[in-house]
Amino acid sequence: MYLADFHLHSNFSDGKLSIPALVDYYGKRGFGAIAITDHFCEQTSLIGRASTYLGVTLTTATFPIYRELLKSEQERAWDQYGMCLIPGVEITKNSILNHRSAHFLVLGNLENIDPNLDISELSDRVRPEGALVIAAHPVSTQKIEKQTFHLWDRREELAPKVDAWEVASGPYLFDEVRYSGLPMIANSDFHSEKNMTSWKTLLSCEKKQEAVLQAIKKQQLDFQFYREETVREPSYSTLPWIMGPQLGHYGMGNVDSLQAISK
Amino acid sequence: MGWGTWIAFKQFQNRREEEPSSLAPVSILKPLKGVDEGLLENLESFFKLNYPSYEILFSVTENTEPAISVVQKLLSKYPSADAKLVCEPQNTGPNPKINNLMTAYELAKHDVILISDSNIRVKPNYLLNLVPDLRDSVGIITAVVAGVSAKGLGGWLEASYLNTFFARWMVLTKKLGFPSVIGKSMLFRKSILKRLGGLKTLGHYIAEDYMAGHGIQKLDLTVELMRSPIEQFIGPYSYQNFWARHLRWGRIRKSIAPLAFLIEPLFFSTFSGVAGAISLNVLFGFSPLTVWGLHMALWGICDGLIYQLMDRFSWKALGAWVVREGLAPLLWISILSGNTVSWRGRDYRLLKGGLLAEGRTT
Repeated sequence: MYLADFHLHSNFSDGKLSIPALVDYYGKRGFGAIAITDHFCEQTSLIGRASTYLGVTLTTATFPIYRELLKSEQERAWDQYGMCLIPGVEITKNSILNHRSAHFLVLGNLENIDPNLDISELSDRVRPEGALVIAAHPVSTQKIEKQTFHLWDRREELAPKVDAWEVASGPYLFDEVRYSGLPMIANSDFHSEKNMTSWKTLLSCEKKQEAVLQAIKKQQLDFQFYREETVREPSYSTLPWIMGPQLGHYGMGNVDSLQAISK
Repeated sequence: MGWGTWIAFKQFQNRREEEPSSLAPVSILKPLKGVDEGLLENLESFFKLNYPSYEILFSVTENTEPAISVVQKLLSKYPSADAKLVCEPQNTGPNPKINNLMTAYELAKHDVILISDSNIRVKPNYLLNLVPDLRDSVGIITAVVAGVSAKGLGGWLEASYLNTFFARWMVLTKKLGFPSVIGKSMLFRKSILKRLGGLKTLGHYIAEDYMAGHGIQKLDLTVELMRSPIEQFIGPYSYQNFWARHLRWGRIRKSIAPLAFLIEPLFFSTFSGVAGAISLNVLFGFSPLTVWGLHMALWGICDGLIYQLMDRFSWKALGAWVVREGLAPLLWISILSGNTVSWRGRDYRLLKGGLLAEGRTT
């Protein structure tokens, strides 16, 4: 049995760590499989274009380099940590309306990714080529942030085209997904070290991309809560005169601190 | 402005204290196209380097390339040099420089690669000064380019651009954490670029240098500037060439970083002077003409100081500076008005992020 996390962001979009740093971070904690899934915003919306200008998304220009780096890090992750790194993207369709916003992960084969396609069309295109489509945080994340309900609104229509739905994103379990009967997966939506304490997926299949993707598809998985040990040391915000000293710096984690929570 | 000038001075006075511990062997790649004045001397300077182990690979795309005769002359003059000519272009994408370089890159014997343009002329200690700074944490070393031996109006305008605005831009962006890489001089490890897919991945971009720097920083490696500027031999250069080249560079900048391009006029002496003069007149009633005159004089002094660091400042350089500062806003408007560029006889359409679409042959 090993831990897996399939929703990680690097500094190719809005994550804090680089791809090699993510590999080292998860590898050192003994994870068996991860997927790096940077935002790839659709370019037909104003918010998507703004994200491009702000440099917080993959673009058609950076995507080839991203893919190549994932390929080379796949080898290093395996050689150095015995960890399976699966290439991925988070197709990001943001609107000012939560019910028109959708995020979905594509894992595995990234050859024919077009962020401007509807999930239904993209799923028809990538799934026959071996990729998996996962609905990311489809219901309320219980955090003050942009919500993405569009996929959940269309769940009946999309059910045959989505391989799994996130039942947890970070530390929160989504009861709507949990009791829906839809295939599930738990991820952290990792942007920085502070997101490490979260639900993860537990697998027992071989640590190979095909085997891992198959296990998700066939739902041969479980979920566990991973708690990162917190090292309390004072740090200061960039505006100390307003905020004062802040506490809560996250340090090294410990797999022994896992708390199994049943589905 | 003053800060940028100060940073430039600091950058070029940054001498290495310690002796270099090891000098890794280097493969120098020289893409060639056409014979410009000074080519023989530029290329020959690479045969005279004080460095224990290096090879030079000249690459051309056609057997009829006129630069071949220049290379052959040098190969017979320096028979013991580890140098060869490669004429085997590949098609990796629309970037002609990468297509030209690919075979030489694959043939390169050493892990440390230096890609250096044909108009660069170096001093014998060039590699000795450059290579030891390629530490494990460094991904790529580029250089500030000093424009030297300018002839003609276009040449002087080019020198004025390189020796003032561009030099300051390079050191300032590095200081602010957004370093630019320029293809005229790029030193890196093949094993590092391999992690991004190798040189062929860069063949889809017009600004392969920018993307190399961008990608390498994603590996948590740094982009460094060489401790001293390298010399670009400008020679005779027409005004039309100057305009076309800067139109291309500007449109590439616009395609890669449109927001940064939009605020560029703030860094033009004329525009920022006018804005400052109007503001101070409205706020405090200062004479706009006096404010503008003082602003231009101060700007000119700072530019003159940087120019003197790069090459000898002269009356001709001052004249070229005045013309260039006047042209900058017009050039900016011209850049804004289109998305196509001409490069080595072909027209290209620029896509977002510096990607290229093939155009017609001109």
